[in-house]
Amino acid sequence: MAKTVDQYFDDLRGTRVWRSIFRSGTGSSTLKRALAIQQNVFLHLFSTKVRTRMLSFSATWYLGTLTLGTFLILVATGIPLMLYYHPSVPQAYADTKDLQFVVSSGLFLRNLHRWAAHAMVFLVFAHMFKVFYRGAYRAPREFNWVIGVILLLITLLLSYTGYLLPWDQLAYWAITVGSNIASAVPLMGNKIHFLLLGGNAVNANALLRFYVLHCMILPLTAMFFVAIHFWRIRKDGGLYSHASEPATLRARAASGAAAGKEAQ
Amino acid sequence: MKEILKSFWQKLFGDSVRAFGVVSLVFLASLAIAPAKNFFSEWRHYQHGYLRMIRNRSDANTLQRHFQGGIQQIWLPELGVTDRCTSCHVGLKEAGLTDVGTQPFRKHPAIPHAIDQFGCTVCHRGQGAATTVAEAHNSTLAWEQPILPAKYIESSCGECHRGSVPGTPQLTQGRQLLSRYGCVHCHTVKRPDGSTMKPTDDPPSLSHIADKTSREWVYAWLKDPQAYATTATMPNFKLSDDDARDMSAFLIANSTPLPGDTATLTAKPASDPAAGPSLYGESFCASCHAVQNAAGNLVGGDVGPELTRVGSKVKPEWLQAWLRSPRVYDAETAMPHYRFSDPQVATLSGFLLAKADSDLLANVHLDAATPQQIAHGKRLVSDYGCASCHEIAGIKKPENFAPELSRIGSKPVTQLIFLPGMPHTLPDYIAGKIKQPRAFSPGLKMPQYSFGPAQIDALTTALLALNDRASTLPPSLTVPAVPESSYEPAGKAGKLMSDLACFSCHRINGHGGTMAPDLTWEGSSVQRQWLVEFLKNPNTLRPSLIRRMPRFNLTDGEVKELTDYMMTVYQSPSVDRDSMLLSGYTPGQIELGKQLFYGKYSCQGCHIVDTKTDKGYIGPTLTHVGSRLTAAWIFEWMKNPQALRPGTAEPNRAMSDGDARALTAFLISQKGGAKQEVAKK
Repeated sequence: MAKTVDQYFDDLRGTRVWRSIFRSGTGSSTLKRALAIQQNVFLHLFSTKVRTRMLSFSATWYLGTLTLGTFLILVATGIPLMLYYHPSVPQAYADTKDLQFVVSSGLFLRNLHRWAAHAMVFLVFAHMFKVFYRGAYRAPREFNWVIGVILLLITLLLSYTGYLLPWDQLAYWAITVGSNIASAVPLMGNKIHFLLLGGNAVNANALLRFYVLHCMILPLTAMFFVAIHFWRIRKDGGLYSHASEPATLRARAASGAAAGKEAQ
Repeated sequence: MKEILKSFWQKLFGDSVRAFGVVSLVFLASLAIAPAKNFFSEWRHYQHGYLRMIRNRSDANTLQRHFQGGIQQIWLPELGVTDRCTSCHVGLKEAGLTDVGTQPFRKHPAIPHAIDQFGCTVCHRGQGAATTVAEAHNSTLAWEQPILPAKYIESSCGECHRGSVPGTPQLTQGRQLLSRYGCVHCHTVKRPDGSTMKPTDDPPSLSHIADKTSREWVYAWLKDPQAYATTATMPNFKLSDDDARDMSAFLIANSTPLPGDTATLTAKPASDPAAGPSLYGESFCASCHAVQNAAGNLVGGDVGPELTRVGSKVKPEWLQAWLRSPRVYDAETAMPHYRFSDPQVATLSGFLLAKADSDLLANVHLDAATPQQIAHGKRLVSDYGCASCHEIAGIKKPENFAPELSRIGSKPVTQLIFLPGMPHTLPDYIAGKIKQPRAFSPGLKMPQYSFGPAQIDALTTALLALNDRASTLPPSLTVPAVPESSYEPAGKAGKLMSDLACFSCHRINGHGGTMAPDLTWEGSSVQRQWLVEFLKNPNTLRPSLIRRMPRFNLTDGEVKELTDYMMTVYQSPSVDRDSMLLSGYTPGQIELGKQLFYGKYSCQGCHIVDTKTDKGYIGPTLTHVGSRLTAAWIFEWMKNPQALRPGTAEPNRAMSDGDARALTAFLISQKGGAKQEVAKK
């Protein structure tokens, strides 16, 4: 009798190597499946159980997942782009030209990074609108909403810092204008401006600073908050669904009890 | 319809396996676009085309061996060059491709610079890093500087070569025109090396204009300078009749008399049909002044003004005073002070005054000027910036009257206003501005020049070379110009030389004109007696030249003064005049020299020793060279002519001392003996 594909997977999961890596063993009992999620450092951020209804398109329009998708695309394209890019004044523009003209599929890489960045900003906003209009920001999810706002700011900062890196006229003047806006802050505006650019004008220091922010500090911060964001979804009782919210259930139970009383 | 769509949807995304498959396929196809675009790139297309083209040629093997596939690049970090032009222009260095006329496979014309050492965009501009035609050649959003049209290519030579450089006639002409037509009077032009371009047109002072000419002529001239003289460098200001009337009124009223000019005629202008032209010819006026002949061709030089209609312009009193002593009226003039006798002045002035054009002033009728007209004329004269070029009593020379052009070649296209239908490029803008300056906006003051297309291209070329890159090149990459020295000879002889305007034609110690020979080492090169005779009665040394040294009618004292000075001061440190004898060579040496002259070195190709047999018209005639040059000079000249006079046409034949000595002996024996014997008889 031929084994099914599932049986092959079960055999694989039973091997010693597999067991040494993943602590949860074979078996498809609810406990085993819950353990498989809970004992994995990445998966334990997610809920061990999800209602099937919440996986349908209409529940979330997949906006959060799509945002994560664009973020992953940005990481995946950003790393090869870093291999071709020097954050120095004489090289930066020439490197973007090289990406356009001589690096195999370099233009594709760069355009994908750029369009994914645009898409990510759009999706973040769409995600927040969806959350807002569904009322999913309310208790007990207030803190996750705050994390979301921080993630929005990080996304915008990532866009802004990335904008300078091609080192063309558009970038130069956009950053000049942007940093001048920062200097309009009362009392400490000029300090912020100086800190942001590493000087009084957009120059080599600003380019290096923006590069480090764009490729190191901001992505790592974003990952940190994304992890908290996902973990809080589980802690806050999974994805928001009006029908299964405690308040709704309580209200329903109360009205059900009332109806029962009346029936009695 | 809805049913069809629904079933189609079911077929593609009906279950999760189908959906996964379809999405994967779409994703894969979209991913394949990038490598496909890479594979079907333009440079690959051109390289295939090149290989197809050379396949059937006889030199296919050589070309195939030289060919390298893939993206090619010339990388010169110190020049900021990353040029990938050679990815498509594959045949640039193939000497064998002379018959190929289609781009991008044409061979590059021979130039003194190696492509590998300079790249392409240094001269041609455009975007060197690009590997597509449109990006490399055109102005795009990400690259403003398009490729430089081939007809202005010499402007790129001028960015590094600050002085004149051989092989760039258009650039040299353009730079000369900027000075010659007085553009730089109004427009400041600082060269990339920091020096300021100086005008060479020498516009006359108008402070004493009434001595020289009539108000009617001034009016006609203001209306259309080229009607008086086609070669006039003064542009046409397109003045209305009233404006020209008022300006001429002001200029005449503003003029003050000079004592010499208004003296009554001491010699009546004589009209002698034979003596006039002959004196004009003997004095070699035509070396500097041009006259239109009956066929309409200009004959003569362009140092002084054209004289075709001079009789309609100048007053006889002024002309005679001028011929007697030009420096009284204009201390800086290039005109030499001829020592004409009174009858000669009468003859020459009569001859020149007869060169009149009755049509020129026929329709000019001016009433006496009113004070209002004079005041209006004065305002116009300062509005049009006349004093930028001309000295006018009571009007200050305006500073920065027109925009500075020191960086015009880098002016961003976005800052320019183009005429309708004009291509939006900087070269087209500059050429258009020179062609029709007033068309760009009403109220512009720049006058209309009468440049031909070649002159406009030359000017555009010279102006395009004045750009940011030229000004910021490190000194190691530039070839500096040899600055005009401010050398002035000293003492009495020096005064005499400036009175005779020697420097209008001759060059000494880096100062002066280039029409006549450089005299810096004249004291080492010629024999004293010859110089004395020559100054008294100059004869021509080079048979092919039309422009010659005029006779100034010098006195013996003046000749001695000049000769003493030149023989003492203009000595070359590398030639000891007295180290070799002027006679006493053995017949054997002379005969050997003669054989070398006609045999090994074939000097008769350019020089004449024997007027019967030799046909050389390029170099000076050598029939009397033995009484002209010193032996030491001839000897050193034979060994290395360029060391004595850089740039001379005489080739360096790397002669041995023995050959040079024999030739010196032969040449020193050429004293024009036959002629002297005749004279003795």
